[in-house]
Amino acid sequence: MTPPLVLELLPALIDLPFRDGYVSSIVWVSLSVSLLAVTLSTLVSIPTAILLGFREFPGRRLLKTLINTGMGFPSVVVGLLVLFVVSNQGPLGSFELIFTRQAMVMSQFVLATPPITAISLAAITGVRQEIRDAARALGGTRLDVALVVLKEARYGIATAILAGFGRAISEVGSVLIVGGNITSASGISRTRTLTTAIQLEARQGQYETALMLGAVLLVLVLTVNAIVVRYGDGGIQR
Amino acid sequence: MLRARNLAHVYEETTVFEGLSIGVEPGEVLAIIGPSGGGKTTLLELLSLSLPPTAGTVSVGGVDAWAADAASRLALRRQVGMVFQEASLFGATVARNVEYGLRIRRSWRARVRDQLSGLWGATETSPAVRDALAVVGMDDQRDQPAGALSGGEAQRVAFARALAYDASVLLLDEPASDLDPRNTAALEAAIEEAASRGIGVVIATHDMHQARRVADRVGVLLDGQITEIGPPAQVFERPTDERTRRFISGELVY
Repeated sequence: MTPPLVLELLPALIDLPFRDGYVSSIVWVSLSVSLLAVTLSTLVSIPTAILLGFREFPGRRLLKTLINTGMGFPSVVVGLLVLFVVSNQGPLGSFELIFTRQAMVMSQFVLATPPITAISLAAITGVRQEIRDAARALGGTRLDVALVVLKEARYGIATAILAGFGRAISEVGSVLIVGGNITSASGISRTRTLTTAIQLEARQGQYETALMLGAVLLVLVLTVNAIVVRYGDGGIQR
Repeated sequence: MLRARNLAHVYEETTVFEGLSIGVEPGEVLAIIGPSGGGKTTLLELLSLSLPPTAGTVSVGGVDAWAADAASRLALRRQVGMVFQEASLFGATVARNVEYGLRIRRSWRARVRDQLSGLWGATETSPAVRDALAVVGMDDQRDQPAGALSGGEAQRVAFARALAYDASVLLLDEPASDLDPRNTAALEAAIEEAASRGIGVVIATHDMHQARRVADRVGVLLDGQITEIGPPAQVFERPTDERTRRFISGELVY
């Protein structure tokens, strides 16, 4: 039996209208920038959410308000701010980060952190007080109780990270401003992501290419979601 | 074993107790009866060392818990198990729930190793866990997710969870108030088994029949005081205190 036509054509299709490695390099830039940004965001967000969920401290409400506001931050504005920070006159100007993937990671970090923190916090505060009391009554220390709460909130936290990843990888405005949508002379992406490539192709009237890149982006997001859903639980609660 | 002396608790300027003394011996079942909202839960919270008393002492094995440092108090607190009115099981299998008390008493190294080996596949259920589950008649369901249990089964697992780590005292706060007769019987049998192993059990209940069935001694908590304490027959049939008599006969309604 012959393999389905689509499977046979797929490899050729992906790089068809381009020089070798164009699309795959774009996919690599998109994925690596967004995954790194979301990883860094998670490392900041989860401890912040734990702090907000378990402790009373001065400025707690202000911090919560800031995080909630940050969820609605327009990405172009974030891009602009990061551009000022990394531009030659900016505080990080000497690092020459402008139009680099590092700068893109920075702006996506700023964009992904508020939703990850806010959704994680909602998941943590949503764990019933009875669960905390039970963990403590069984001899748990503060840390043990916190771990139980984190474990109970794991689906919510996984959702939070997915939401942050979704925001990062599908975002155009800030990566365009700080990254510059650059390819090398040989057509290999330096700071071109799937979204900025789609934007460029669409503007040039290359609608088929834009659509195909859009499909690749959709498949990527779906795949990451499926992996998290599958391995987030594995069907058995432990 | 567990003893409270001259306990006072003031909550938002309202005195809940004053000068209350009570204790439970190893292997004894002590029922605390009293009206709802009469402070039974607060008394158990004080006895479980999760709430510092306004005045008075709570001692475990002769050691005054609130005079001890935090580390010793944790060790004392870990000798006291508590089961709440609501089962509040964790989102894990029945066995993992029951194992919890044992797990957090292990070293961090052992706990991390246990977590990692859990990623590969199911770990062996420890004998202490299986024994505790057998006491409540739930060993068959040890691999089920706790969320799939009925309310009564969940409460039995909650009891096993407190029994598994060898506490010297178990405090039960209305553990059977939402249970059907079959689950209530299983729980009461488990209470007897725990007592026969030398564990002191304090059960707060508003069910006088249950107190009669399971308790070696009954204490009546009225108006922030233990108005009567003694064997069930004495407390229910020949109470010396007038308020106790009126409460038990149903004349005194709160």
